[in-house]
Amino acid sequence: MLSLLLWLPLIGAIALLLAPPQWSVVRLRNIAGVLTLLVFLLSCYLLSQFDLGNGGWQFQEYHAWAQPIGLSYSLAVDGLSLPLLVMGNLLTLIAIYTITGAPHETTAGALRDRPRLYYSLILLVNAGVTGALSAQNLLLFVLFYELELIPFYLLISIWGGPKRSYAAIKFLLYTAVSGLFVLAAFLGITFLSQSTSFDYGLLTTDGLELKVRLILLTMLLIGFGIKIPLVPLHTWMPDAYVEASPATAILLGGILAKLGTYGLIRFGLQLFPDTWTLIGPGLAAIGTISVLYGALSAIAQKDIKRMVAYSSIGHMGYMLVAAAAGTRLSILGAVAQMISHGLILALLFFLVGIVERKAGTRDLDVLNGLMNPIRGLPLTSALLIAAGMASAGIPGLVGFVAEFMVFQGSFTTFPLPILVCIFASGLTAVYFVILLNRTCFGKLDNAIAYYPTVLLSERWPALALAAIILFLGVQPQWLVRWIQPTTNALAAQFPTVLADQFATQQPTLAPDLPPAMAHR
Amino acid sequence: MLPDTPENLMQIIGIYKAYAVPMDFYWRDLLYIAEQVFLDPVPFFKYFLPQEYLDLPNHYAGDTADFRVWQKGEASAHPELLEFMAKGEVNRKLPKLLHHLWHDRINMEFAEECMRAMLWHQGMGGQFYDYLESGEYIANADRAIKAYFKRNPLMLGLYKLFPNMFYEKVRELSYYANLGLFWEVMAPVFFEMSDLYDAGEFKSVPDAMDFLVNGIFIAAGRPIYHHAYIDGECYEIIPKSKGFTWLYEAALPYVEAVFYRTSPFRGTKSYNAQAGQVPDEQKDFHYGILYADVFPVGTAGIPPTLLMQDMLHFLPPYLTEYYQQYCRGEDDILIQLGITFQRSMYNVTSAVIQALRTALLYPLDDPNPKHRWANRRFFEAQMDRFKRPEARLRNVQSQDYR
Repeated sequence: MLSLLLWLPLIGAIALLLAPPQWSVVRLRNIAGVLTLLVFLLSCYLLSQFDLGNGGWQFQEYHAWAQPIGLSYSLAVDGLSLPLLVMGNLLTLIAIYTITGAPHETTAGALRDRPRLYYSLILLVNAGVTGALSAQNLLLFVLFYELELIPFYLLISIWGGPKRSYAAIKFLLYTAVSGLFVLAAFLGITFLSQSTSFDYGLLTTDGLELKVRLILLTMLLIGFGIKIPLVPLHTWMPDAYVEASPATAILLGGILAKLGTYGLIRFGLQLFPDTWTLIGPGLAAIGTISVLYGALSAIAQKDIKRMVAYSSIGHMGYMLVAAAAGTRLSILGAVAQMISHGLILALLFFLVGIVERKAGTRDLDVLNGLMNPIRGLPLTSALLIAAGMASAGIPGLVGFVAEFMVFQGSFTTFPLPILVCIFASGLTAVYFVILLNRTCFGKLDNAIAYYPTVLLSERWPALALAAIILFLGVQPQWLVRWIQPTTNALAAQFPTVLADQFATQQPTLAPDLPPAMAHR
Repeated sequence: MLPDTPENLMQIIGIYKAYAVPMDFYWRDLLYIAEQVFLDPVPFFKYFLPQEYLDLPNHYAGDTADFRVWQKGEASAHPELLEFMAKGEVNRKLPKLLHHLWHDRINMEFAEECMRAMLWHQGMGGQFYDYLESGEYIANADRAIKAYFKRNPLMLGLYKLFPNMFYEKVRELSYYANLGLFWEVMAPVFFEMSDLYDAGEFKSVPDAMDFLVNGIFIAAGRPIYHHAYIDGECYEIIPKSKGFTWLYEAALPYVEAVFYRTSPFRGTKSYNAQAGQVPDEQKDFHYGILYADVFPVGTAGIPPTLLMQDMLHFLPPYLTEYYQQYCRGEDDILIQLGITFQRSMYNVTSAVIQALRTALLYPLDDPNPKHRWANRRFFEAQMDRFKRPEARLRNVQSQDYR
């Protein structure tokens, strides 16, 4: 089944590349869309088949591939990777239907330029993410992890903004270095623990010296930290997000960045539990700095896309703090934050894309009065407000659920960083109010406000995302039920500290209640 | 002021026609309120026009006309108006009350807002307002008020206690009559212009302007009066014999009050009077259609919004087709036609300025340099009003302003 999820988009990508050149953009997009929808529905089917009582690997597949070098074709998912995988497929679908191309192009939101390559690259991204999330072999993971770079590099450098080649090269350099660090750490783990196979299940770091473990974990931290990105490894990210087309930005922020956090939890926290608790306070500090840095930088921006990009740095910081705390609730919160951030960021980038396309600018000083019911973009503005509220953690939306779990789960472990994070989440509201106030409210400028209508075909992805964000906000168990068994098992690995955790005092939570709610 | 292009001509004539149909309702209803509803303390049905007012012959159309401006038209209400009143936007015959409550009707609130602007702004020339303060007027009003409330001791008691409140209401009603009589002239003028355009007789924007100037002078001398009918008896609150005439007591104050001044529209923007955002002097108010920002249409209950809604129902097909080609087509048609309306009102203002010059000053080719200098000063004073930062003249002159 997992192979199907992996190979379907891959075959689709090749097929689209070979499609007859006379096929229209809309047809190509619909082919890619239908294929992705199929993959998404299949992944939802996996969700329904997922055994909620089992926090371990499910849907396993194993084929020996290149035994001498320890590489095997080994796939499986658990409660950590499956929700991310489903979200990845959803966001791919959204990205395919995201407006791309220069403003005022007429092809109903699709692009004219090299559409076959474009859609096949998006499918390739999807396949790569599925592969990385389900890989059970470290080398296989690295393979997919690195495979992502090629389509993303092309997506940014061909369909990006005016500074695209600079951004693409920067992205390539940083993430290639990230890949090198990860690869080196994996080689280190395997060779130093005397293993002949890179299979995840066979590896353990228990036998290694503390110093070695620290070095290996630091390498992983740098590697994945670039991808997430964490301050101070983030400098590629604002450029890449801003120069990328909205669809690419959704894939970058919603999916690719999640590979970093996923890798950190999967290979950092899970392979080095003892060492993880040791460096936990340091991680929390880095996370808190990221949160503050992201929020403060976002406040200073004039470009709404760059603002959203910096807000993303901030929100990924919460994730790191929660993962560092290592309690049941905080790890659950960390994974929930990945999902919630992916959905909200995708919605934000999607809407910013619409604004840019219709209004022809992303400049806060130029945009104004988009709420105007007749000449403005009223629905887009309304959804932008909803997305801003979700991102700022307003109750009733998914952002609140995730952040609440993060804060509550980590507070006893890292009270000071969490207090700073809570303060920073107030700053989130500050920059979103700046953004909304300048773009949506105020008076529409008569001289420039001849914006084209937003078509229904350009709206539905945003409506779907907003509906999901609202639904998961009021029904959080639909978010956490798949994650909880795995994160509980993860937290149980931690031998030390935190015995008297506020969050872990009730060892048997009702499985269908979100812990945040259960603790009230 | 409006550039002479076929596109502009088509736009302004089309909108005159769309304006004239609701105007045919406005003037009838304004007179109905002034003459029949009068001081009704609960005038809930004041917008429900009785048949006799729909049949009321227009003095400038039909066979009984004093001067037949609208050559082909009937003197009674316009057929498109009658059809809309019966079926409304929903295109179904429903009880009048339902159309009213659903707001599927002619928006008389707009006409009343114009009336209120005329009442509120003073010192716009003419003798009309001064007369409303005179003892003679008070005496006339007093007779009418006592007759109207003769079977209502409560209201009579109130009248004893607060007579000035009642006089003020009657003054308002006099302005109802004033505006009604003004628009009675304008509706046939606009209908005739539309017919002439359809017949291909207008070739340019100045042709349209000249027609308007002529129209103004044809009606210039018509009397402005206020009669109230109470129990079948006519009370002459402002008798025709006072000699108030259309041009000086209705047309010019109307243009000044409605085109230029009006009042800050409530709801779209907060004006901070203490910070000087609202002028100290009423004569410096510039919130009229010549200055209006049409873009926020639909955001709040701005009076022109209601007018645009009214005009929307009667657009000639060529104008609807034209709007569909630009901006968002049907979706922002209210704004597009609002801007067209703004254009057309610049054309009317040009005509009014020419008419004023003809009435008060000298011919354009007058050989006397002093006269020409006086003309020049007059035009410069007019132009200064369009050099204000909020003026839309530059926008209107650009074809891309839609």
